[in-house]
Amino acid sequence: MENKGAAGGLLGIVPGLALMVGTFLFANWAEEALKPVDFLGYKQFFSRVLNLNYIIISIVMGVLYRNVIFRGTIPAFLADGFRTTRLFIKTGVIMLGSIYTLGGLAKLGFQAAFLISVFVFGSVVLVMWLGKRLNMDRSLIGVMCAACGVCGVSAAVATSPGVKAKPAEVALAIATILGFGVLTMFISPYLGNLFHFSDYQYGVWVGTGILNSGQVLAACLAFNPLVAPGTAVAYGELWNVMRVIIIPFVVFVITVWYWSGNKDDVEAQNVSLWQILKSKFPIFVLGFVGMTVLSSLGLLGQEGSETSHLLRTLMQWIFGIGMVGLGAYIDFGEIKAAGGKPLIVGLTAGTIKYVLALIMVLTIIPKSAPF
Amino acid sequence: MSQAAAKSGKLTVFKTDRHEDFGAICFAVLVAASVMIYMAFFLDKVTIKAPADGKLVEMKVAMGDTIKEGQPLYTYETVKKKFVEGKLEESKATETFKSKTPGKVLELKKKPGDAFKKGNGLLVVEHVKGTLP
Repeated sequence: MENKGAAGGLLGIVPGLALMVGTFLFANWAEEALKPVDFLGYKQFFSRVLNLNYIIISIVMGVLYRNVIFRGTIPAFLADGFRTTRLFIKTGVIMLGSIYTLGGLAKLGFQAAFLISVFVFGSVVLVMWLGKRLNMDRSLIGVMCAACGVCGVSAAVATSPGVKAKPAEVALAIATILGFGVLTMFISPYLGNLFHFSDYQYGVWVGTGILNSGQVLAACLAFNPLVAPGTAVAYGELWNVMRVIIIPFVVFVITVWYWSGNKDDVEAQNVSLWQILKSKFPIFVLGFVGMTVLSSLGLLGQEGSETSHLLRTLMQWIFGIGMVGLGAYIDFGEIKAAGGKPLIVGLTAGTIKYVLALIMVLTIIPKSAPF
Repeated sequence: MSQAAAKSGKLTVFKTDRHEDFGAICFAVLVAASVMIYMAFFLDKVTIKAPADGKLVEMKVAMGDTIKEGQPLYTYETVKKKFVEGKLEESKATETFKSKTPGKVLELKKKPGDAFKKGNGLLVVEHVKGTLP
């Protein structure tokens, strides 16, 4: 916690966190209250037609806070609380490790690693080509590559020092891909139902095609709000974890590409893959693997037991609270301001990736999964 | 980014992303450990909940019975969904739920023929301390 001491820092997060928790509880209540409601001649309009669940309600409430109630700026007394969003999402992802076994992880992990690598490095090359054609700055192309290729926020931030990106360029890249992600996050569940995707197909599609980790999670839970083996979130997050692991390698490739065009930049030229791995490896992924090991050893309760039910209920809570914060990070003003060349590059790369992932799932991914 | 976050250039309350990763690992371990300790040592009785929507066919235990881990507790009829040649097929199936924990049956909440939803309590079992139900 910054400059306030541990107690001050903890106190600082209380108001925002309380609002996030309260909103999540409200979303749960609203889902149940709206379930039986018939509207416009449709039976159970909100749950069956709009596919409204606590996840979507939590995100929409977050968006409303940011863009309508607070008019684009989260008040300072709430800001620290909302900045715990990624902590909640990462914690949920680590706990999600408990629904896998090492065998399942190995079986799906290799397939996920291969497909993700093809899509990630394909997007990086595409963005480099597009950026060059549009005469964008190399530093902006670098952060756009990371944002479009891996997963928006963390990758863009991780790449920025290596390519000497200005804070405004990082913000621009993040706003662009988050803007595209918002669209995909909301339309994916409907497209998934339209194509009659199984949870496995949907997870593979969204995990490959959506740009941002939080948005992958939200799109999966919006399709099927259950957290358990065999659900959309189990597959989508496995793909996402693979993508997160790739971050340091992508940062390295982009940094090398950047200094290859800036031969006089001695500092950048000295960067090695090992240094980048040491400083950028997302170690929360080790927590995810650790949970999978504990689950494989049977130390987290048997599959189908009340212990596993309670763990999964808590995971849903943790994700749900994180989703309120995720919604509050969607700023329509910033998305609008990000226009111009980054928007063209982001939308083109994002759409190509999203559609190619859809075609891949429709053609080669079977309905049933190994677990 | 919120304005405050944008000003400080951070998306987290932690010093760095790496601190946030450690924080998330600690948070997850704390939650998992609390669940394990609570379930193993503080729970007096366990309500065994339905794993899916269905109908109770047979209750294989009676009130007061002492049960072992792995012992069949009840059979239920449910609708199974399976993809066959790319198409979703639904079929009725009868499943047997086996106990995940030893204990003594304290209460039966449903009787044969009763329908239930996923998560409804079906029976209450005394919890043996030190086991994970």
